[in-house]
Amino acid sequence: MDQSLENNFNLEEILPANTFKTRVTQTKVERIVKSAPTRYRNEIAKYIIFRNEEKCKLCGKCVATCTKGVHILKQGYKLFASPLSYKCNGFVCEKTDHFCVSNCPEGALRLVKSPMMEALGDYRWPADMMLATWHMAETGNPIPEDCDFEYETGDSDGGFDRIRIAFPDNPVTVSEDEIDISLDLNKRNDGRPNIKIDVPWYGGGMSFGSISNVTQLSKARAATAWNTFSCSGEGGYMERLRPYDDHMITQVATGLFGVREETIQRVRIIEFKYAQGAKPGLGGHLLGTKNTPAVAKMREAVQGIPLFSPFPFHSVYSIEDHMKHIDWMKHINTRALISTKVSTPTDVDMVAVGSYYAGTHIIHIDGGYGGTGAAPDIAKKNIAMPIDYAIPKVHNFLVSEGARDTVVLMASGGIRNYFDIVKAIMLGADGVIVGTAELIALSCLRCSRCSSGRGCPRGIATTDPGLITQVELDWGTQRIINLYNAWTIGIKDILKRLGLKSIKELRGRTDLLRHLDISNN
Amino acid sequence: MYNNSIDNILKSKRRLIEHLVNQDKPEAMEAEGGCGVIGFCCTEPVPGKHIHEPSRLMHNRGNGKGGGIAAVGFIPEQLGVTREVLDDCYMLHIAYLDSGCRSDVEKRYVDSVFDIQKTAKLDTVDDWKSVPGLAVKPPDVYRYFVRVKDDVLSKFIADNQFEKLERRDAEDELVNQNSFKLNQEFYVAAKKQMAFVMSHGRNIMILKVVGFAEAVTQYYKIDDLCAHAWIAHQRYPTRGRVWHPGGAHPFTAMNMALVHNGDFANYHSVTEYLKQRNIYPQFITDTEVSALMFDLLSRTYKYPIEYIIEALAPTTELDFDRLPVEKQKIYRAIQATHMHGSPDGPWFFIIARNLIQNRSFQLMGITDTAMLRPQVFAFVDGEVQVGLIGSEKQAIDATLTSLAKDDKRICPVADKYWNARGGSYSDGGTFMFDIVPNEKGIYRLECKDKFGNAVHITDKTESCDFVTETGSSHIKDQIIKAVTNYVEEDKSLVDYFKSNIPVWSFADIWLTCKTLRELAKNNAYTSYVISTLSLLNDQNFPTGNKRRSHILHIVRTELDLLLKSFPKLMSKLEDGNTYRLLDFGTRDDLRKPKDDEKTLVIDAKLFPPEGNECDAMYLVNAFKMGWRNFIVFNCAGQRYIGCGLGPETHDVSIEVYGSCGDYLASGIDGLSITVHGNAQDQLGQIIKDGKFVIHGDVGQTFLYGAKGGSVFVKGNAAGRPMINSVGRPKVIINGTSLDFLGESFMAGDPHNKGGFVVVNGIKFDEEGQVVPLPEPYPGSNLFSLASGGAAFIRDPHRQLVSQQLNGCIFTPFTEKDWELILPYLKKKKKLFGLTVDGKRLKPSRVYRKVAPSIEGVPSTPEKDVYGEEEEVDELVEEEAK
Repeated sequence: MDQSLENNFNLEEILPANTFKTRVTQTKVERIVKSAPTRYRNEIAKYIIFRNEEKCKLCGKCVATCTKGVHILKQGYKLFASPLSYKCNGFVCEKTDHFCVSNCPEGALRLVKSPMMEALGDYRWPADMMLATWHMAETGNPIPEDCDFEYETGDSDGGFDRIRIAFPDNPVTVSEDEIDISLDLNKRNDGRPNIKIDVPWYGGGMSFGSISNVTQLSKARAATAWNTFSCSGEGGYMERLRPYDDHMITQVATGLFGVREETIQRVRIIEFKYAQGAKPGLGGHLLGTKNTPAVAKMREAVQGIPLFSPFPFHSVYSIEDHMKHIDWMKHINTRALISTKVSTPTDVDMVAVGSYYAGTHIIHIDGGYGGTGAAPDIAKKNIAMPIDYAIPKVHNFLVSEGARDTVVLMASGGIRNYFDIVKAIMLGADGVIVGTAELIALSCLRCSRCSSGRGCPRGIATTDPGLITQVELDWGTQRIINLYNAWTIGIKDILKRLGLKSIKELRGRTDLLRHLDISNN
Repeated sequence: MYNNSIDNILKSKRRLIEHLVNQDKPEAMEAEGGCGVIGFCCTEPVPGKHIHEPSRLMHNRGNGKGGGIAAVGFIPEQLGVTREVLDDCYMLHIAYLDSGCRSDVEKRYVDSVFDIQKTAKLDTVDDWKSVPGLAVKPPDVYRYFVRVKDDVLSKFIADNQFEKLERRDAEDELVNQNSFKLNQEFYVAAKKQMAFVMSHGRNIMILKVVGFAEAVTQYYKIDDLCAHAWIAHQRYPTRGRVWHPGGAHPFTAMNMALVHNGDFANYHSVTEYLKQRNIYPQFITDTEVSALMFDLLSRTYKYPIEYIIEALAPTTELDFDRLPVEKQKIYRAIQATHMHGSPDGPWFFIIARNLIQNRSFQLMGITDTAMLRPQVFAFVDGEVQVGLIGSEKQAIDATLTSLAKDDKRICPVADKYWNARGGSYSDGGTFMFDIVPNEKGIYRLECKDKFGNAVHITDKTESCDFVTETGSSHIKDQIIKAVTNYVEEDKSLVDYFKSNIPVWSFADIWLTCKTLRELAKNNAYTSYVISTLSLLNDQNFPTGNKRRSHILHIVRTELDLLLKSFPKLMSKLEDGNTYRLLDFGTRDDLRKPKDDEKTLVIDAKLFPPEGNECDAMYLVNAFKMGWRNFIVFNCAGQRYIGCGLGPETHDVSIEVYGSCGDYLASGIDGLSITVHGNAQDQLGQIIKDGKFVIHGDVGQTFLYGAKGGSVFVKGNAAGRPMINSVGRPKVIINGTSLDFLGESFMAGDPHNKGGFVVVNGIKFDEEGQVVPLPEPYPGSNLFSLASGGAAFIRDPHRQLVSQQLNGCIFTPFTEKDWELILPYLKKKKKLFGLTVDGKRLKPSRVYRKVAPSIEGVPSTPEKDVYGEEEEVDELVEEEAK
């Protein structure tokens, strides 16, 4: 946890006395990687091992052979437990000496590719990438070399999927300990405290209502463990989040649900959400079925009725209004940093610079690849500029305005894994914000039913009191902690291969990227 | 009669741009930006220095990267020319960014085209860096009084078949095209940016800089230059590291200057529309395009002003239906022709024009149909009349204070403040101030709306002569005795005032207030005096034939003097005074209150409007130190008053006087705050709990996202009050709202801890009597998409129609509803001194209830409960019994 705030500022001086009581002890969540196995007995797998029970003589050779622990024969049992297919490496093993199928003396094993792979995922998040994310969330480590997951890129044939990192043949040698991937969030030098986060990303805003409180808490706790941030979204600030105040961003969005002075004064970062890249110009919309009694209470609205967040802020129709808005938040909370979240229209560069002049610390641009099932397809695919176009546009414009080093540029919208994080930073962002990936870590299937009220089959994006019990808080927290750990290792590895000591050196290094659409490169 | 002169004009412009059309398109990226705008006009020419104060106070609406001013209607002697030259010649102002090109420019575009009456370089200060607020050195500006050479004009007419055109119109067009060519060659081409035309109209001047607006008058030393109308503009551009004055506002067309706040969503479409008419922008901002559009409609198409406005801000929805049928036909044709050129999105124009044919000058404000930008109009009547238009009311007040300091005939309190309702059938979202000479040649100010209907300002004609007024009264002893008696017996002095003011002279009123102020020196009477003067400031009462604004000025002057007289925090005096004064000079003396100190009085005057040094921040700090009662006075646009105190502040009270700024009371959670006068925009956002009273009108987006609290507004709320409100806000609006009241209101069930809004649709007339507004709610959108709460509208004549509702229905107003709102109406009556006489009807005949229609719940049609129709012809207020 960042102690600089406590050390540098006497909180009693900067917070009204009557908000002290909100300063409950910050709960420590340990940054420890622990195995967090899937919560399903038969997790979705890329390959399926079939065992012919008639042929099998229970010799146990497969158990001894397999390096992944797919086969399980518990002592005292007469039969094998069904194999943990999701751990299976598949046909990669064929060329090795530990291929269970060929090693089985009875020929009782058969390996097939799961037909479910045809149905799971989509072009942006192919099945392999989801399985890889689950794997990282379970183990806390990057995918081992011998795994055949195609998870660096998706199949979209665009965006980050057409961009490759060009690793030099002989990079400068750097040792792992030297590599720094932390990020400073206040570069304005305006008298407000700096906040240093340990990883170059933080969690995106998802409201209570759109996701369950367990999900929200898991995000917040993982962010606390990694000394980074998670965002409340706009559906109010749960009391249960209070122990994690120092790692929460309170979102002030166009609906202003649950936004009160008290919640603004609790946090260290306030985020203005003007628009979402997944649905720019559409505001927010919580369907009536998701507006359960708990959600309605939190938002002080009427239960069961669809809740709209308008587009845009009715009080901000011009840049000087935006400045006024920021000044207001700065007035209410004198220690907080301001983040401005905008989508990516064609003039996103001017929006960003205008926001910079208005006094924002963090410019958060949200591109068009992101969004859960709650955003309409027609909007997700057709309105906002892809984030890989928007980042360099904004970055270069900020550079030409001489403002680049006094503002933090965060990018979001389709950042799926650590390769995307690195690419986004190389395109010119300081860091990124992730949303969907965290939900995938909690075993989201991307079935795109987030909008269908309580129907999230995995109990993540739901407020149904029955469904939410599927996810346990400790497990959810651990899954995200693990994912973050795997990403950290992955990013450090990439930096090492590039011969760089700091993530800051990576910013804007488009010379180290190759776009597949550009030949001779 | 059709003549082809319009075609010919548009055709003639084609030659200007032939070489452009085939070029690769330049990067047409419009510069965005928001702004602060102010414009004022006066029946007597007033000096340029009066734009200083309002411009300074609106720094926070610009970023110092673009400012400009325009002036119309000069005094010939000040410019060193005769009246004839001033009236007839074009005042060509050319800005030379690169002074080396002047001879070239003059040779090609001045000497060869014009007969020059007078040339002058605008005087400037020696060192531009000595002028605060300038970012780069402003250009040298030369002023030429010119007429087009006769032979040049004749050739131009022959070349372009302008024979059917008035010769002067052809000359105007030539001047216009000449400037275009000059700009093209010396500014646009190859991005040279060496010289450009600032303005070329008659009796009009535009100057702009990279810096703040008031730097213009200082740098060009025109603080003492007098003109009938001035506009100033603070710009907030967001593009271009090196800005240049070419992109700053105002923009000119022939004889007019235009400034703009907002930006278009359809810049591209408007540009295309102009290109189809051979008109090309040169400075790539939406404001320039607006000026070009206005010029096209007025000078080429020769539309009357009403149709120009309709083309820019079309009348829509219910307002269109309410237009007379003949107008609908014309408007439909205008909309069909010009919709693509109609700016879409948030915009507000202030335009100053020289109307040569009427020998008059004009200042005009036009708002977009959806009223997305703030706008306030004001009128000061009297011997000297002033019309004002601004982004913020505080800028208007600052202008008036500045004017009044110079000329005591001008009262710093306007006779009327109001908002325009964009694209409406009632005022068209536009008001114009025309400075017209009467038969004696003396200029008088006429104010009218889009349709030419005169705006009624006041029937009162008796003015206080602030030049000579000393407050000496021949009934002095009588007054002092009466006042002292009332005070000592703790009786309400307000009634004494109210009954006497109609017969008193201004001197008597002033003397009475002074007497009160003297009495306040006795600590026992201080709070009594403050509340008495506040009531006089807040309430409406008969004034005889005296102007209410002048009485208000007297009351406010005395109240300010009283508040200013309180001891400062470091005062050693053991005076037993429970009030302590904090001003900007002594702000660092802020400390904990001592036992007997109850109220902190903050003189907001010099505090910045926002940031760590603002008065609102000192208020928060004082609160943290233990102060609980506050008076904030002398406000000049200071923002965020009452914000930041956090929750559980039920023991805090804040009284606010003066021109308070935006976001006041936004977020309050328990405290009570009272605004003694009109208030500005975005007030009471996310208010959670507390009591919020406004003794006047309130601006845009009032109570956005509110969650609770009891709110009382004496006057009107402008556009978009109470959007996205949830929880339990209880709001009484005495007047009405322009439009979009309670959109997406979600505040539960009003009978079960939910929220509601009451719109009374009434106002006070000049006799202090309550009269109904022409309509209880004029907008086309009432409670749209609301899913909770209820709106109770006082509508005894059943003027509301279901077209105004979108997703809601009229439901029966029940006894239960009446019981719900009655206590609040009673509270309001106490606050605003409201008494009404008239025939009493059942509440259900007076109020109508608008509530969400919930799917699946059968709704009771409203008419079922009313039974037999009764005659409703008188104003009814059940509460008055």
